[in-house]
Amino acid sequence: MAFNFDPYSPAVDADPFPFYKTLRDQHPCFWSDEAGMWILSRYADIVTALNDWQTYSSASGNLMTELPNRAGSTLGTTDPPRHDRLRGLVQHAFLKRNLEALAEPMRAIARDAAEALRDSKQFDFIEDFSSKFTVRVLFAALGLPLGDERTVRDKAVLMVQSDPHTRAKGPEHIAAYNWMRDYAAGVIAERRKNPQNDLISHFSSAEIDGDKLDEMEVLLTTTTLIMAGIESLGGFMSMFAFNMADYHEARRRVVADGNLLADAIEESLRFNTSAQRFRRRLQKDVALHGQTMRAGDFVCLAYGSGNRDERQFPNPDIYDLNRKPKGHLGFGGGVHACLGNAIARMALKIAFEEFLKVIPEFRRVQEQLPWMPSSTFRSPLRLELAVN
Amino acid sequence: MPRITYIEPSGNQTEIDLPEGWSLMQGATSNGVEGIEAECGGSCACATCHCYVESHADRLPAPSETELSMLDHVAAERRPNSRLSCQLKASADLDGMVVRLPICQS
Repeated sequence: MAFNFDPYSPAVDADPFPFYKTLRDQHPCFWSDEAGMWILSRYADIVTALNDWQTYSSASGNLMTELPNRAGSTLGTTDPPRHDRLRGLVQHAFLKRNLEALAEPMRAIARDAAEALRDSKQFDFIEDFSSKFTVRVLFAALGLPLGDERTVRDKAVLMVQSDPHTRAKGPEHIAAYNWMRDYAAGVIAERRKNPQNDLISHFSSAEIDGDKLDEMEVLLTTTTLIMAGIESLGGFMSMFAFNMADYHEARRRVVADGNLLADAIEESLRFNTSAQRFRRRLQKDVALHGQTMRAGDFVCLAYGSGNRDERQFPNPDIYDLNRKPKGHLGFGGGVHACLGNAIARMALKIAFEEFLKVIPEFRRVQEQLPWMPSSTFRSPLRLELAVN
Repeated sequence: MPRITYIEPSGNQTEIDLPEGWSLMQGATSNGVEGIEAECGGSCACATCHCYVESHADRLPAPSETELSMLDHVAAERRPNSRLSCQLKASADLDGMVVRLPICQS
């Protein structure tokens, strides 16, 4: 049977890594009929694409399955120079040195969420820990009004999914996206009326070179920040917990020596980042590995595969706490590398310092995990953990 | 492929042939060169890929405003030849270039 790679298939949601290996070894520049795009799977090819935004454009969308009317109005879906000016307005809030004020509130939130698990024998890491933590942290960071946390979280998780049968966003995913857009619009209107010293207040009244941001940019960038803050952070937290549950020795070393937590986070970003695949669109023909990709074609950059490329990382399928995998693609790379990388690293570190204090010994309960149906991201919908 | 020489903080020198278009930061992190952290992944948002340009300076594009503002926050001494290596792209023009990496990045 001919090889195919279908990023909408539940088998790829559950375990993309054997598919990636075949792609890297036998089809390093592969046309996927199911995805309707080329798939780049080797580390070096992905890095080349990330460094060349002129050829590999983001302006037609960056999610594998793009949301309607989103491309062109967010950081991830614009090219320089527009992108750089838009990012300049938002970036200062996400720089490491400007995040210090969040450390204590974040730790208090983590401590509360961890304490609530103290006498549990078994719990769902996502429902009972990471969701509570991410939503409260995001609300604190963006200064969002309390009251809607649960709904905001549910919609954020739904809007990144795709339908495995139709290979598109389903009505429920579009409805969640529309809900989030309306929610963001409400927050923006409120902040314009009563500006405060927070990101959304500044951003919603910002101008680029005297050219006021258009409403769509303010709205969709805010929507994306909320989605990323909740879904992407929560998704990766669950992947990290999954690794800590499965790799007992690594976890015990981290518990014994807190300095190793940062190394475990980096190795998890390499080993199974939640940001598995993003896409670009070619602005000119590119010849690669005997194929010619044409201007206008979409190209998937499979970060999750580049991170397992033995050409770059020796013994890539081993979870190795000593690896210190510099240059991994867990946050993408180049001009579009994840804006939230510093806040994500900080949140992970604080959340797990507190979590591991309360629950140092645990294991995974489900043999098969229910994986989120998504062509872009990969994380479980539930992660049952049992306390040893 | 342009060849770039990195001088690590220890004084150790590594020569790397970089594919055109790759940033000097990327060339260092993906080849195990010591002395670059590059936390932000190449988006000019962290100042942990600081380098001192020891040659070919006249062939480099001037730093952008964003790069200049990030250079204010480098951990080691900032010098006139300080640049962020994620903003320097390998090209034939830079063949033979030498960059020195600072004693610390954060």
